[in-house]
Amino acid sequence: MMEPIETGAVPIEVLLVEDSPGDVRLTREAFKDAKVHINLHVASDGAEAMEYMGREGKHANAPRPDLILLDLNLPKKDGREVLAELKESPALKSIPVVILTTSASETDIHGSYQHHANCYITKPVDLEGFLKVVKSIDSFWLSMVKLPRVART
Amino acid sequence: MKTKSLLNLKVQLAFGAAILTMLAVGTISYRALAVSGELDQWVGHTHEVLENLQKLMLAMQNVESSFRGMVVTGNESYLESYRANFASAEQYELTVRRLTVDNPAQQRQLPALESLSARKVQFNDGVIRLRLAKGFQAAADAMGDGTGTQLMDEFQAVIRSMQDEELRLLALRSVDARRRLDQAKVALVLGTLLGLFAAAFAVWSVQRDSSGRALAAEKLQASEEKYRSLIDGVQDYAIFTLDPGGKVISWNAGAERIKGYKAEEIIGQNFSRFYLQTDVEEGKPEKELHLAATSGRSEIEHWRVRKDGSRFRANVVLTAARDSSGRLLGFSEISRDISERKETEAKYRGLLEAAPDAMVVVNAAGEIVLLNVQAEKQLGYHRDELVGQKVKNIIPEGFAERLIADGTRTAAEALAQQIGTGIELIARRKDGSDFPIEIMLSPLESIEGILVTAAIRDISVRKAAEEHLAQMEGRYRGLLEAAPDAMVVVNRSGEIVLLNVQAEKQFGYRRDELLGQKVKNIIPDGFAERLIADGTRTAAEALAQQIGTGIELRGRRKDGSDFPIEIMLSPLESTEGILVTAAIRDITERKKSEQHLVKTVGELKRSNDDLQQFAYVASHDLQEPLRMIASYTQLLAKRYKGRLDSEADEFIAYAVDGSKRMQGLIQDLLAYSRAGTNGKPLRKISSEAALKEALSNLRAAIQESGALVTHDSLPAITTDDTQLVQVLQNLVGNAIKYRTAEVPRVHVSAAKNGGKELVFSVRDNGLGIDPQYFERIFVLFQRLHGREEFKGTGIGLAICKKLVERLGGRIWVESQPENGSTFYFALPERDGK
Repeated sequence: MMEPIETGAVPIEVLLVEDSPGDVRLTREAFKDAKVHINLHVASDGAEAMEYMGREGKHANAPRPDLILLDLNLPKKDGREVLAELKESPALKSIPVVILTTSASETDIHGSYQHHANCYITKPVDLEGFLKVVKSIDSFWLSMVKLPRVART
Repeated sequence: MKTKSLLNLKVQLAFGAAILTMLAVGTISYRALAVSGELDQWVGHTHEVLENLQKLMLAMQNVESSFRGMVVTGNESYLESYRANFASAEQYELTVRRLTVDNPAQQRQLPALESLSARKVQFNDGVIRLRLAKGFQAAADAMGDGTGTQLMDEFQAVIRSMQDEELRLLALRSVDARRRLDQAKVALVLGTLLGLFAAAFAVWSVQRDSSGRALAAEKLQASEEKYRSLIDGVQDYAIFTLDPGGKVISWNAGAERIKGYKAEEIIGQNFSRFYLQTDVEEGKPEKELHLAATSGRSEIEHWRVRKDGSRFRANVVLTAARDSSGRLLGFSEISRDISERKETEAKYRGLLEAAPDAMVVVNAAGEIVLLNVQAEKQLGYHRDELVGQKVKNIIPEGFAERLIADGTRTAAEALAQQIGTGIELIARRKDGSDFPIEIMLSPLESIEGILVTAAIRDISVRKAAEEHLAQMEGRYRGLLEAAPDAMVVVNRSGEIVLLNVQAEKQFGYRRDELLGQKVKNIIPDGFAERLIADGTRTAAEALAQQIGTGIELRGRRKDGSDFPIEIMLSPLESTEGILVTAAIRDITERKKSEQHLVKTVGELKRSNDDLQQFAYVASHDLQEPLRMIASYTQLLAKRYKGRLDSEADEFIAYAVDGSKRMQGLIQDLLAYSRAGTNGKPLRKISSEAALKEALSNLRAAIQESGALVTHDSLPAITTDDTQLVQVLQNLVGNAIKYRTAEVPRVHVSAAKNGGKELVFSVRDNGLGIDPQYFERIFVLFQRLHGREEFKGTGIGLAICKKLVERLGGRIWVESQPENGSTFYFALPERDGK
């Protein structure tokens, strides 16, 4: 599933931390029309997300992501903890984190920015809205923004 | 001539006899006159000595009382009188010494007298120094050894002995004088008879002589009367004379007073009747006469008997009277009642007069022995009218009985039971009027046996007050009993003076168990304290602060159990001062229901919180799966529309619509459950600014509908601005939304509503509402219109109602269908910051 689509261009590595397979699928659907080549990696809970980042177990050869899409309400390890750990790590804190969650609560919005989330997006409840959001991420974070790329080993 | 000369001779003889008789009578008269003069002198002298001795004694007694006064009070002003009296005492001593210079017996007593008074004063001075230097206790201890009293007693004994000696001498001299006068009388009578006989022929000459004789007789009689009047006048001493056999010859007033016999009853009787029967049987009267006859004088102290049979202790001096040849003429007796009241009186007079109450001292026979001025005043008698009288005359009932022993106890025991306790009796004045008294008895040991001192207090005023209270009690009792609460009336000492049946019931006491008791017994804390003034306010003020306000305290029943009470105090003027009426309500039930209410409110709040939490969690968690349903049905519709059959398209459309509506409902539910939960502290804001913000949020709707929104000048208000914005926004939004074909006109205003409310109104020219729906429109998810007509879930007004009520206000509507609606909401005006 991480096959490059366009061989000529350098693909962008995105880690989606999301427990709902429906949302994973919708996200994947939305990225289909993306302008850039995207490698979408998925962790279905917070614990797995940290294993991925630490290249543990099956993620031993996983590439370092250029952007992380993080849900907050996750099983095992909560998205808020994952955010905090990422932003406290000198090696990982430079990776932009986009919070993508159903929660619209002020507490979550505030708390996320306090922990240096790079932006906060509430998932729209209807399909059109959701597709629009993913497209916006593509056009902004993946196309317009210069991401801090790290030389691959 | 012969006859003539014979006659002359006879006449001459007669004259000669007459002259001789005259000479004899003249001599006798002269002697009688001399005796009378001598006696006169003696009477005057004795009188003077007695008087000075008496003054000396009085001066010393004054010295003593000034001394005691100083010691007891420590007041140095007593010392002045003390010194002055001592100076006079010294003066009297000198006078006595001068007067008795011819009497070796008295002169021998003088050094003793002077030494005693000097020692007494030395002792007194010592005690006074102690009093000044070390205070009362030291002085009292020094006095306690009895030296002072003993010296005083000895001093008085010497004085008395000197007085006795003077009187004895006087009696002796009078016996002698009387004998000589008697002789002169006999000689005079004989001489006169002889002269009458001899001068039968010379009456004129004899008659001439008789003027001289008459003068002598007159003189004699006058002198006899003088000494008799002195003797007779002596009240404190029984002075009488006896013949050698012991028969009474003369009797003075003192004898009559002390022994109770009148002169005519006793003269000629034997003096042995003054003795006790047992003494007579032992032959004591004869023995004493014999002793006096042989040694000239006998002095003895023994029991004597009065006419009425009562005994008294007597000091008796018997002196034998003899003529110049030594023949026994008789005896004089001078006796004194040494258990005399005078002494008691002297001792206690000062004490009695100092007492504020009437004081009466009564002996065991119920006779008044002593009384003070207050007693005279209170009873309207003069002292003399009461002393010696039965106490029954002034206190008809209840006093004398207490002095009398019944079969089983002695008078002392009977008395002991009464000592110190006030007994209420009735006293009678001289004018016969009665008045209530309280008497306190205390015993007084004396030679006469136990005397009783009675302090008598006129309690007419108190009785009147008590009666007044009783009347008042009668008047208020009806009121008290009619009260539904327990009522207790308390005086300023915190004692219960009145209570009603409800109070008896509530506290489980009988009335008589509570009357006069401290209110602390039934209300241990907080009540009595309220009656007591502290340093900064008076009791009345302290009380005034409590009047009329309900105070919650604890009551205590007789069985010791506690219960909550509320008391209301109110003052009650009375002759006793301000009383306090306390209405006491048992608030056990109220307390229970209050607790129940608090508990219920707590439970309700918890349950409400739970519900809110539930609503939030449910709506949030429901949203996730619903979002999946909605997203994928929409994806289905997007990808496969027109690729399946037309039925499939229709079914998918319904699923998409249903899921969207459900999402709307859930979002509204979430909004409703959140509404007002994150309220901010209230602050003063401009409601006009709030409206402007609301209108700016509605800009799109206003532009689209072309609505005309106007408003009056709106006031500042202390409230939650976000919530006010939301309410205004919902109401103006509705006003635009439910419009007719006309251009929507909306007007917002606010006005004070008499009380403490600000009433906002949002008036429109829209569809209007049927009054039957006025309540329903504020209920969650209640809609009046179909979804096809107007979008929405029916949440807006429910949220408005919730927010307004959370702010302490209310919301309502006035409307007629087709005629527009006016929505009102009233918010409380608060003192904002």
